[in-house]
Amino acid sequence: MQAPAVSLEECSKRFGERLALRKATLAVAPGETVVLLGPNGAGKSTLLRLAAGLLRPTAGHARIDGVDASAAPRALRAGMAYAGHRSQLYRGLTAHENLALHARLHGRALDVDGALAAVGLADRADERIDGFSRGMLQRLALARATAHEPVLLLLDEPASGLDADGRALLDAVLAAGRGRRTQLVASHDHDLPDRLGARAVHLDGGRIA
Amino acid sequence: MIGAALAIARVKLLLELRRREVVFAMLLFVVATIVIVHFALRADAGAGPRAAAGMLWAAVVFTAVLGLLRAFAAEAEEGALDALLLAPVDRAAIWLGSALAQFGFLVVVELVAVPLWWLLFFQEDGPAPVPVIAALLLANVGIALVGTLAAALALGARTRDVLLPVLVLPLAIPLVLAGVTATYGAFGEKGGGFGPLGPLGFLALYDLIFLALAWGTSEHLLGD
Repeated sequence: MQAPAVSLEECSKRFGERLALRKATLAVAPGETVVLLGPNGAGKSTLLRLAAGLLRPTAGHARIDGVDASAAPRALRAGMAYAGHRSQLYRGLTAHENLALHARLHGRALDVDGALAAVGLADRADERIDGFSRGMLQRLALARATAHEPVLLLLDEPASGLDADGRALLDAVLAAGRGRRTQLVASHDHDLPDRLGARAVHLDGGRIA
Repeated sequence: MIGAALAIARVKLLLELRRREVVFAMLLFVVATIVIVHFALRADAGAGPRAAAGMLWAAVVFTAVLGLLRAFAAEAEEGALDALLLAPVDRAAIWLGSALAQFGFLVVVELVAVPLWWLLFFQEDGPAPVPVIAALLLANVGIALVGTLAAALALGARTRDVLLPVLVLPLAIPLVLAGVTATYGAFGEKGGGFGPLGPLGFLALYDLIFLALAWGTSEHLLGD
């Protein structure tokens, strides 16, 4: 039997006094798209950061392809992408320079111009991003997260700040990835699972409902 | 690994070239420190080579800490550190790239600070320049290696501005002692008659030890 692409087993995360995630258990099959739904503070972002290996669980295990997520080897990290609340970009660089750095760190010759064109930023490629709106940063973060064609895509509220065109673009990116890569998306859009034909997982108070 | 480190260092140097946030503050600090201490010590009345050497090295180390406080400021702005941590590169590359940038900042600062120090403290009879420059370059390596690792450690702490000097300054004491001894030794007979080679060797050894230590631990120290 194939190992889940992402698995959380009795996973808890505590920040000081606050228990952000309580004994969460979740398995995401390879190629599956899962949408995490829940109010602010439900634990969606914490779950995604644990799955990405950016946080270590206080208790339990978070795994990618059966490997401890926080110790994921380079080969696994090469095939994954995570876009969080912040753009994870350098504000003093241009859009093109940011994606060129991403390509350099992935050791691949990525089609930077194509990636920028795909998110509607081709004409802003040489502008420093400290002048970008929130929506433009989100588009660029989406380009960064998908440019290297990851097999695991983790997105934390990727629609925030996006206009109608941007949300349509995001839906198209997620729809195109359905079945081709594993996608775990935190969202406040309760219609998103139906639109994508994805599994919905509800969180509340740090628990998976 | 080296390629990724160079790419990160290049980004940091480019950002500094565009924003002038770190080096400008470091320059102001080091120039102010040298000028104030010059008047406080009445260098023209003969402060003595050892006091002048100590003054230079104290100014360099405190200025370095000022720069280290912003070592990961660009990554903190939009969470770029997450992207670096998830990139398929050794995490040591993140530390090494940042250390290379810090080394560059220190060199730029010293290009201004050392001639000023020379001008104010020794119109003539200064130390031999080569050992002083060699000691500064070797110390820069050590400060950048150790300081960047400490900056990464202190990154998530609310008391980062206090924690970083507490971590860095004790580790910098051997560098300051060796640097002062090398600078004092570069005065020849006036500096006690012993040469600067011993302290320069010590500085090189310090760099090698902390390069190995930091390289080995950075994978585990960076991140959550």
